[in-house]
Parts: sequence; C-alpha cells; structure tokens
Amino acid sequence: MHEKVAITHGPLMPAVPLRSNGAGAVICFEGIVRGMEAGRPLEALDYEVYEPMTLRELIALSQDIVRRHKLLGIVVEHSEGRVRVGEISFRLQVAAKHRAEGLAAVNEFIDRLKQEVPLWKVPVFAEDMRVKATSCQTYARHSATAQEES
Amino acid sequence: MTITVKLFGPQAQMAGQRELVLDFPASQINCGELRAAMARCHSRLAPTLASSRFAINQSFATDADAIHPGDEVALIGLISGG
Repeated sequence: MHEKVAITHGPLMPAVPLRSNGAGAVICFEGIVRGMEAGRPLEALDYEVYEPMTLRELIALSQDIVRRHKLLGIVVEHSEGRVRVGEISFRLQVAAKHRAEGLAAVNEFIDRLKQEVPLWKVPVFAEDMRVKATSCQTYARHSATAQEES
Repeated sequence: MTITVKLFGPQAQMAGQRELVLDFPASQINCGELRAAMARCHSRLAPTLASSRFAINQSFATDADAIHPGDEVALIGLISGG
C-alpha cells in the first residue's frame, strides 16, 4: 500500500505517477488555479494552512477514503502559500482494482476536503497587484525628488 | 476569562486581523457561547459563524465543548481547499 500525504510551499511540481501492484485503475486529479474568480481577473491564490491540524486532517481523510473504497494506494499533495494562475495547487492520485471505486474515491475525497480540512484560499486579483505596483512607483518618484531638493 | 481566537483566510480578511480577543466574566465558557459573543461583537463575521466550526487545541470541537484557560482556539470557516 503506497500512501503519501504532503503539504508543499508554492505550486506543485510535475507528478510522480502512482503505481500499485494489482491496480486496474490509477486516477490522477489536479487542481489548477484558474484565471478568473468571481468574474475578476486573478493573479494568484494564496493558500493558508493551520499546522499541524491541516496535515493531520488530510491524513485522516486519506486513511478513511482508502478504507471506504478499498484503495490500493493514495497520494495527496496540496500547496500552501502563493500559487499563480495556471499552476497546480492540488493533486490527488488513487489506485484501485477497478474504475468505479477509483472514481468514487476521488469524488468523495474532494467533496470532503472542501468541507472538513482546514485549508483556505485567498484570491490575489490582478487589478490589486497593478494598484500596488503603481503606488510603489509613485513613492519611489517622491523619494527621489525629496532627496534632490535636500 | 480572556479568549484569543485565531482566524484564517476570508474570515481573517473580514475581521482585518489574524486574532480576535474576547473577554468573558465567567471562568469557563463553551464554544456555543463563544460563537454567540463573536456574532454580537463582529458584524462582518456574523453571517459566516453559523456554518463555521471551532477547533480547541487543534481538534474540532462542538458547541457544547468547554474552553479552558490556556486553550488554543481557532475559527475554522469558509474552508476552500482543493
């Protein structure tokens, strides 16, 4: 039985495929940061965790899903910190004897993840980043002018 | 009794801070009483509290669970992993 649960700082790296003896189905789900949130262009998502509770609850959920669906293997990876648009923030891989229990396990895991595990995402909107950049540039110009006058 | 409640994600943004400090005349309260007090004191958080859970010392708690001095209390609401 291959089981791995990990929280990673920043976006996830490409997957290392899960392989398991006796598995007729290996399913990989990846959550990717989309470009829009509530109708507004997104720059990134900031993921927050409450450690060590977040990891402990992720492990408990994984173990329950393995038991309920008789899985042969599971790998769970979730980001904390900033993940930009197009990057991967979550990955779930399950190995099962048959497709049905594999797909059911993936669906149940994700549904329960969104209800049970202390994980939060806070949007970083593109226009907020532009306002911040403009404010920093204005401050830099004022500082330079003040230095010249003194 | 003074209780510090940790906030995360959107709820921390609503409150404008990462922790809320509440004072209670009683020496012991439960999570249900804490929930009611937070709803009275923080109007921006109030709509989110009914669907939120508390954690005491990093374990989920029910409204009937007591909070003791020194306990670490966190509001776990609007979670959005995955």
